[in-house]
Amino acid sequence: MRTKNAQRNGSARRDFLKAILVGPALAGGLPRQVKDPEAAETQRSLPDLPEGDGPILRMQRELRRALQKPLEQRRWIMVIDLRKCVGCSACTIGCIAENRLPPGVVYRPVVEEEIGAYPHVTRRFTPRPCMQCDNPPCVPVCPVKATYKRPDGIVEINYEQCIGCRYCVTACPYSARTFDFGENYTDRTPKRQPYETSPSPEYGRSWDRTNGKSPAGNVRKCQFCIHRLNAGMLPACVTTCVGLATYFGDWNDHDSLVAELIGKPNVIRLKEEMGTQPKVYYLL
Amino acid sequence: MATDGDVVKGKESWCRRVSRRKFLRTSALLGGSALVARGAVRLLDSTSPAEAAYLVPTRDYDLARPQNIIYSVCQQCNTQCGIKVKIHNGTAVKIDGNPFSPWTMVPHLAYRTSPFKAAAVDGLLCPKGQAGIQSAYDPYRLVKVLKRAGRRGEGKWITIPFQQAIEEIVEGGFLFKHVAGEETRNIEGLRSIRALTDAKLAGEMSDDVARIWKKELTVADFKTKYKDHLHLLIDPDHPDLGPKNNQFVFMWGRLKGGRGDLVSRFVKDSFGTVNAHGHTTVCQGSLYFTGKAMSEQYLLDEKELKHKWAGGKKFYWQADTEKSEFIIFVGASPFEANYGPTNRASRISTGLADGRLKFAVLDPRLSKAAARAWKWLPIKPGTEGAMALALIRWVIENKRYDEKYLRNANKAAAQTGGESTWCNAAWLIKIDKDGRPAGFLRGSEVGLPKIKKVLSDKKSGKERPYEFDPFLVAVEGKLVPFDPYDEKNAVEGDLQVNTEIAGTRIKSAFRILWEEASSRSIEDWAEICGIKAEDIVTLAREFTSHGKKAAADIHRGVSQHTNGFYNVLAWFTLNLLIGNYDWAGGMAQASTYDPGGGKAFAAKLPDGSEIKWAQPFPVGRLGGDKAIPFGIDIIRANAKYEETTIFNGYPARRPWFPLSSDVYQEIIPSAGDAYPYPIKALFLYMGTPVYALPAGHTNIEILADVNKIPLFVTSDIVIGETSTYADYIFPDCSYLERWEFAGSHPNMVWKVQPIRQPAIAPLTETVKVFGEEMPMALEAMLLAIAEKMGLPGFGKDAFGEGKDFRRAEDLYVRMVANIAAGDKPGQEVPDADDQEVKLFLDSRKHLPRTVFDAERWERIAGTWWRKVIYVLNRGGRFDDYKDGYDGAQLKNKYGTLINLFQEKTAKTKNSMTGKAFPGVATYVPAPLDALGRPVEDEKDGYTLNLITYREVFHTKSRTAADYWLLALLPENSIIMNVRDADRLGLRDGSWVRVVSASNPEGIWDLKNGAKIPMVGKVKVIQGIRPGVVAFSLGHGHWAYGAGSAVIDGKRIAGDPRRGRGVHANAALRVDPVIENTCLSDLTGGSAVFYDTKAKLVKV
Amino acid sequence: MKKLLYGLWGVAFLVGLIGVGQRILYGHQLAGYGSYVVWGLWVAAYIYFIGLSAGAFLLSSLVYVFGVKRLEKIGKLSLFTALVTLFMALLSIWFDLGHMGRFWKVYTSFAWESMMAWMVWLYTAYFILLLVETWFVMKPDLVRWSSRTGFEGTLARRLTFGQSDISTAVLEKDKRTIKALATVGIPLAVAFHGGVGALFGVIGARPYWHSALFPILFLVGALASGGALLTAIVAFFWPRDGKAEHEELVALMGKITLGLLVFDFLLEWAEVSIALWGSIPSHVAGFKLMLFGPYWWVFWIVHLLLGGVVPVALLTLWPSSTSAVGTAAALIAATFMSVRLNIVIPALAVPEFEGLISAYTDARLQFYYFPTLHEWLLMMFVVTVGIALFNIGFRTLPLVQTKES
Ligand SMILES: Nc1nc2c(c(=O)[nH]1)N[C@H]1C(S)=C(S)[C@@H](COP(=O)(O)OP(=O)(O)OC[C@H]3O[C@@H](n4cnc5c(=O)[nH]c(N)nc54)[C@H](O)[C@@H]3O)O[C@H]1N2
Ligand SMILES: Nc1nc2c(c(=O)[nH]1)N[C@H]1C(S)=C(S)[C@@H](COP(=O)(O)OP(=O)(O)OC[C@H]3O[C@@H](n4cnc5c(=O)[nH]c(N)nc54)[C@H](O)[C@@H]3O)O[C@H]1N2
Ligand code: SF4
Ligand code: SF4
Ligand code: SF4
Ligand code: SF4
Ligand code: SF4
Ligand SMILES: [Mo]
Repeated sequence: MRTKNAQRNGSARRDFLKAILVGPALAGGLPRQVKDPEAAETQRSLPDLPEGDGPILRMQRELRRALQKPLEQRRWIMVIDLRKCVGCSACTIGCIAENRLPPGVVYRPVVEEEIGAYPHVTRRFTPRPCMQCDNPPCVPVCPVKATYKRPDGIVEINYEQCIGCRYCVTACPYSARTFDFGENYTDRTPKRQPYETSPSPEYGRSWDRTNGKSPAGNVRKCQFCIHRLNAGMLPACVTTCVGLATYFGDWNDHDSLVAELIGKPNVIRLKEEMGTQPKVYYLL
Repeated sequence: MATDGDVVKGKESWCRRVSRRKFLRTSALLGGSALVARGAVRLLDSTSPAEAAYLVPTRDYDLARPQNIIYSVCQQCNTQCGIKVKIHNGTAVKIDGNPFSPWTMVPHLAYRTSPFKAAAVDGLLCPKGQAGIQSAYDPYRLVKVLKRAGRRGEGKWITIPFQQAIEEIVEGGFLFKHVAGEETRNIEGLRSIRALTDAKLAGEMSDDVARIWKKELTVADFKTKYKDHLHLLIDPDHPDLGPKNNQFVFMWGRLKGGRGDLVSRFVKDSFGTVNAHGHTTVCQGSLYFTGKAMSEQYLLDEKELKHKWAGGKKFYWQADTEKSEFIIFVGASPFEANYGPTNRASRISTGLADGRLKFAVLDPRLSKAAARAWKWLPIKPGTEGAMALALIRWVIENKRYDEKYLRNANKAAAQTGGESTWCNAAWLIKIDKDGRPAGFLRGSEVGLPKIKKVLSDKKSGKERPYEFDPFLVAVEGKLVPFDPYDEKNAVEGDLQVNTEIAGTRIKSAFRILWEEASSRSIEDWAEICGIKAEDIVTLAREFTSHGKKAAADIHRGVSQHTNGFYNVLAWFTLNLLIGNYDWAGGMAQASTYDPGGGKAFAAKLPDGSEIKWAQPFPVGRLGGDKAIPFGIDIIRANAKYEETTIFNGYPARRPWFPLSSDVYQEIIPSAGDAYPYPIKALFLYMGTPVYALPAGHTNIEILADVNKIPLFVTSDIVIGETSTYADYIFPDCSYLERWEFAGSHPNMVWKVQPIRQPAIAPLTETVKVFGEEMPMALEAMLLAIAEKMGLPGFGKDAFGEGKDFRRAEDLYVRMVANIAAGDKPGQEVPDADDQEVKLFLDSRKHLPRTVFDAERWERIAGTWWRKVIYVLNRGGRFDDYKDGYDGAQLKNKYGTLINLFQEKTAKTKNSMTGKAFPGVATYVPAPLDALGRPVEDEKDGYTLNLITYREVFHTKSRTAADYWLLALLPENSIIMNVRDADRLGLRDGSWVRVVSASNPEGIWDLKNGAKIPMVGKVKVIQGIRPGVVAFSLGHGHWAYGAGSAVIDGKRIAGDPRRGRGVHANAALRVDPVIENTCLSDLTGGSAVFYDTKAKLVKV
Repeated sequence: MKKLLYGLWGVAFLVGLIGVGQRILYGHQLAGYGSYVVWGLWVAAYIYFIGLSAGAFLLSSLVYVFGVKRLEKIGKLSLFTALVTLFMALLSIWFDLGHMGRFWKVYTSFAWESMMAWMVWLYTAYFILLLVETWFVMKPDLVRWSSRTGFEGTLARRLTFGQSDISTAVLEKDKRTIKALATVGIPLAVAFHGGVGALFGVIGARPYWHSALFPILFLVGALASGGALLTAIVAFFWPRDGKAEHEELVALMGKITLGLLVFDFLLEWAEVSIALWGSIPSHVAGFKLMLFGPYWWVFWIVHLLLGGVVPVALLTLWPSSTSAVGTAAALIAATFMSVRLNIVIPALAVPEFEGLISAYTDARLQFYYFPTLHEWLLMMFVVTVGIALFNIGFRTLPLVQTKES
């Protein structure tokens, strides 16, 4: 297992170099992709999952199944059932806690609208993670290739590479990118608290952002909780979703719950007319 | 702990304070020392471009490791969800839902699942639960005892050593001579307040007081009998006020099992005061007390050998959201509040998407649940009872009720019909001269013989004969006697009975109900409720179209009115009509594993051998003399006014609450009025009546007055709106640092006992009590007082021989063992295997010995140790998913009589009017004052009905510390309909002051010179009934870290983020008769939140 | 008077340094922009300065490529102005980066698709070109000045890099080199400044920017503002010898500036009017903000009145008054910053989702922006540095064709 993955790594690096050397003509037109950096990481033996039914366990099993495949054969998608969303913003906060997001940085706000006139009124709640667009306008604009689409469809930001120019922020039609100003929630209080100084686990790394270190000074966004996926876990906003309204899985797996869900007439994607090809689907 | 210990123990730190950086975005100049390097520019970054093309994971996800997980229970609100606290480097960094708990995983994991496997499965959790980290790690938390250094409420404090504080409180003296005006004030300490220490004497006096009430003994005789002890009483002329001990009052806000056992042991069993009162009535009082009245059983009083209505449970029912097909939510907010957004919302939304469930919402406000509802009916506040009666009318008229169920008059009939509950719909009732249903018709009254029965005494084996006078039903005109609990002779009765027997009008309970319901036409009811008649009919038809899988689920919007009790009764009665109690998809009650250890079981086997079984640790047992508290309590809930020696005709000076208890709004004002007696010391635990109560500002006046409350001590985690008036504040451990047995809620059909246990190292100072080191917390405070006073029930042999009570775990570990044992033989959980034992220890490596001491725990638990570990490794005990149901019924059943007609209620008198309370569902208009007169402020131009509600993002007074939640809703607003806004010339964002007839200035007068205006922003929406305006709970703080305080001479500035928005409780109506208390429901005890008429004044 | 000016400069520079200190110590924490309005004063300043630079350069090309004799005297000055404003632009944008230490990554990442990367590469090329070209045009003077004593002389000697041959043959060759460089420079300047326009224009997510007119608008704006700046400089800083010639030059430049300004307004009108007529909500929102939002005065008063109506009046009423033209030009140049602010901010101040503002709140998640004191301080630093460089150059380098030469 290990050697095989190591090989894949090696070739990934070569492919990448090739892309650079061949130059703009080749690399420019295609959506930029990087091969699985560490397939080994995701295929380490993970502890067994418990028995049981329910959508969460099912999706988690499907996730484990997908992890058995090479990275480029996975196609992560998220499905949000707006009929089930109760507008609680647990996902918003779960995400913030999971990724240790500072003030001003939010990956999954839940937008609320009131519709209709008294007494025929209702409210709609629309959670908005990053759409992990297949044609992501945020990617080509980056002057340092710090953001790119991974083979599994996730649009990643390399915090070590990002120079913090924020061009990508302007390019995203979904306001899915926010800038880390290096601030903390307990600024201007008697004492900074430990939950804020604990490093972020994003991308399977340990990001200590104290003293202006990355990701402070970087643009940040939802990355489908790659670090959790690697650990065989569903994204935080999926597991914490109070309305059981958020689904996640591998689109390439035709038996998956998500594949089942999006084969219905009540599916939409946001701002599809922008040609972004979002990988987040909404059920109405 | 390395993280904070140094600071916590630092000499001058009162809260975890290191340095306060002053910097404003625009004005910071060079030299902000603490800030240097935070945003430092790095001129050269070392990453190489090649490597930077992708991010190679370099670390394992340590939060997926079971060693970094502790399962506990959330207390960010009272839903008490199971949580999975994830630890990194010794601190909690993430909280998720516990997958073992039915609150937070749908369906939850089988209990036997290994925690190793469960580690990678996260349960759901609401945003408040997630943000709990910020409540625990709150920069404004207290870690040392604060003693008042200025006048009450002035906000000046000194920190003092724990032991000194205990000494002062116990011994009293001139404790505040350093405060101007209090130089000569001698404060009586607890030792002296606890005058009566002789339990035997107390027992005798208590019995004699009962005899006085029964007019079997005169006060004069009492005085002669106890002439040597009269100085122990509050007032020898009124022995029924009880001993001076009663002048110690202990009140609490949120208190759960474990701590509840501790408090009850300390306050009642050891100190010997009757005054231990919770906050139930501010919460959903009348729900509980209607539940109590409906669940009263006709039981034999073994002492007197007489039957009485007794044993009513302080509880209520909710709909089984898991299986229901149709639910009417009335004044209930299952997506935003309730119990709770987690377990209910998840099930409701699933039901909706699956097509299983349809629901309607009756709420003046378009709640988030209403936004998903099949129908939203914006009902006029206070008319919920009318609405239920309209539905009842239609259901009866159209014969859509479950006739078979209703006809069952006793247990046997119920059982033959496959029912576990039955009601008294068919029972016959006498109507008195005034046409009032007065009580049940009994066999002896129609010449039937009493039934002879025998009670065999368990201990002595003696047989004691007694008689039972049967109840009656009519079957086709014939009277049939029965015993409600008879399991053999099934008796059913006719429902519509209206006849005359020997000159007395006799009706069935059902008939009486029908008469109430049909007293108005559907159209008239509809008119009262402000709802269309056809909507009522549609609703009633739908409600009766799902068999028993329909339910009417009600909450605060129904109960917190002056007519709360009867609103609740009407809705629960509607449920009775379809007989949905104990049915899957119908009405459920909470069921829990008993941590108290009181369960015992003995049986003779056919072979003559006997099996005996008992839970291992009955922690209610007291080694030493258990005190016997007696006398009228300060809220007058444990006695009947007319029976007492202070009866003085009607109206009483203040209302009495014979049908309820824990009447929160009465505690401080009663002390203020010294009715029935003045108090000497008040303890407040985890409550904030000033902020929480309607018209809570009336409490400020009393708390600020040292003559009315001579000693005021609170246990708190911050300086809150109420503790700011305290003489001493004892810091408590937050919910992540401590224990509790959280119990359950009515919509939870599984039998459970979630356990809160220390998940992070305590942040408070370490203190020594009974020779043991422990964190400062409620336990340390009460144990230290007990130690100082030498109270029975604490210290050596407190739980019986060899079982000491020196520290919290002595109680709590035993309680866990009881849960592990279960309530019956054969219910024991398995032993934790070696791996699990290791995991248990590994996952607690970050906890100091002051809260985790495995050897000691093992010693306490004895042979139960591995089972204790098994339970704690899962955060409590939870029945498996499949064990929630028993075919079409719930597994955990209520299982007995439900009172459609309440004889006990009908025989209890209103202390203000002298009239008896109605015993059946009826419509009482709201609001009424304490004398039962309408409050008509609209005549004075207060035309807007002011109500309040919860946003899912905040909890009561307690989430001001949670910056994530503040980011979700930084300030609340006064929400109002566009039509009202247009009419009043208000726009979205307009600033208004909320004023009412009892607070025409629209202010919070803090009695320390400061007045906080109740000014907020208007939010103009479509989703609220015109004429109604609402504010949400949780904002508008002036303490709790929002205001500044001076501690040891240093000013600690508040955080303005914590004080935004408006808290309009001070505008809620003060009762015009009582004058220092909000409006109340005198039957069910509810503090009234929704019956205020207000004005919004542009500012 | 001079002392006062130097004093003022000194104070401004020191205060500006505070801004730099803050930037180094606190990162972006003291800035007023946020995660939604993600670019602020510094980015606006950057496109402003870059515009000035491109404008100044293109004007210089009139001399060196097209040989417009009447402007010959300002050739070197234009080039130098282009250099200084470019430097100011780069300084502004560098301060704006989240990680200033990583700017070099732009050169090593080969992000061919990124307009911004192209921008950086083009500036770099342009910067080098400017340096070389400036050197060539100054070379004869430098050689001549080498003989001087004092600082001027030393500097001149250093800058000749050992070249001392200013024979006609060499100068002829140099002239060709200069012409070649300047010729290459034109498309470069056009490319990069049009490119800056494109940098915004390509962003489909922001309808306000997403217009094909943007690159052209940027170019014309650059010419107008750059031209105005030069005009002002020439009007006020020119040595007072050769008054008539000077007046004539200023008048000419005034006419050019006027023309460019009018053209710029024409393009702006096209942008705004088409958007407003189309009235697609997402498209007009930005324009509405610009015209009627909280900062309406930036457009109406600063840009339209002070940067449009007043200078046009001055330029048409007193076309040959040096002070009137100079004042008008200075006004145009200075107020053009408002145009740049109105390009950057309104586009970002329009929520991409209704209700986003209240979904999660923070000072950084607002659609409201006004530069903070810190941002102004840092800007002050950039401007004072620019003024200093210009002044030093103006005083120590042979930029102005004096009689002596
Ligand atoms: N406007 C309005 N007011 C309401 C309601 C409403 O709907 N609208 N609802 C009412 C309801 S249902 C309820 S239940 C009441 C609740 O009212 P209460 O029970 O009186 O108060 P809580 O808000 O729960 O907070 C209690 C206080 O305890 C302190 N505290 C927090 N954590 C701890 C701890 O761990 N230990 C200790 N010792 N202290 C702690 C804090 O200072 C906090 O302010 O509020 C009522 N008030
Ligand atoms: N987010 C959150 N959840 C909580 C809590 C919390 O503080 N915050 N607290 C917990 C506690 S202690 C409790 S008691 C429960 C309370 O749970 P609920 O009682 O379900 O919640 P509330 O929001 O107090 O009130 C319920 C609904 O009644 C509506 N209402 C107001 N006035 C009237 C009226 O006159 N008639 C009718 N029909 N409806 C009316 C309100 O609009 C609201 O939607 O929530 C628990 N869960
Ligand atoms: S949503 Fe925005 S940030 Fe996410 S991939 Fe699409 S364009 Fe990029
Ligand atoms: S902010 Fe970072 S990721 Fe975004 S465009 Fe700039 S360098 Fe790329
Ligand atoms: S997938 Fe992960 S990062 Fe993305 S919104 Fe959900 S929790 Fe946040
Ligand atoms: S957690 Fe789920 S239900 Fe709650 S807001 Fe997010 S998506 Fe909606
Ligand atoms: S519903 Fe209440 S108890 Fe449950 S997670 Fe939310 S705040 Fe905690
Ligand atoms: Mo409550």
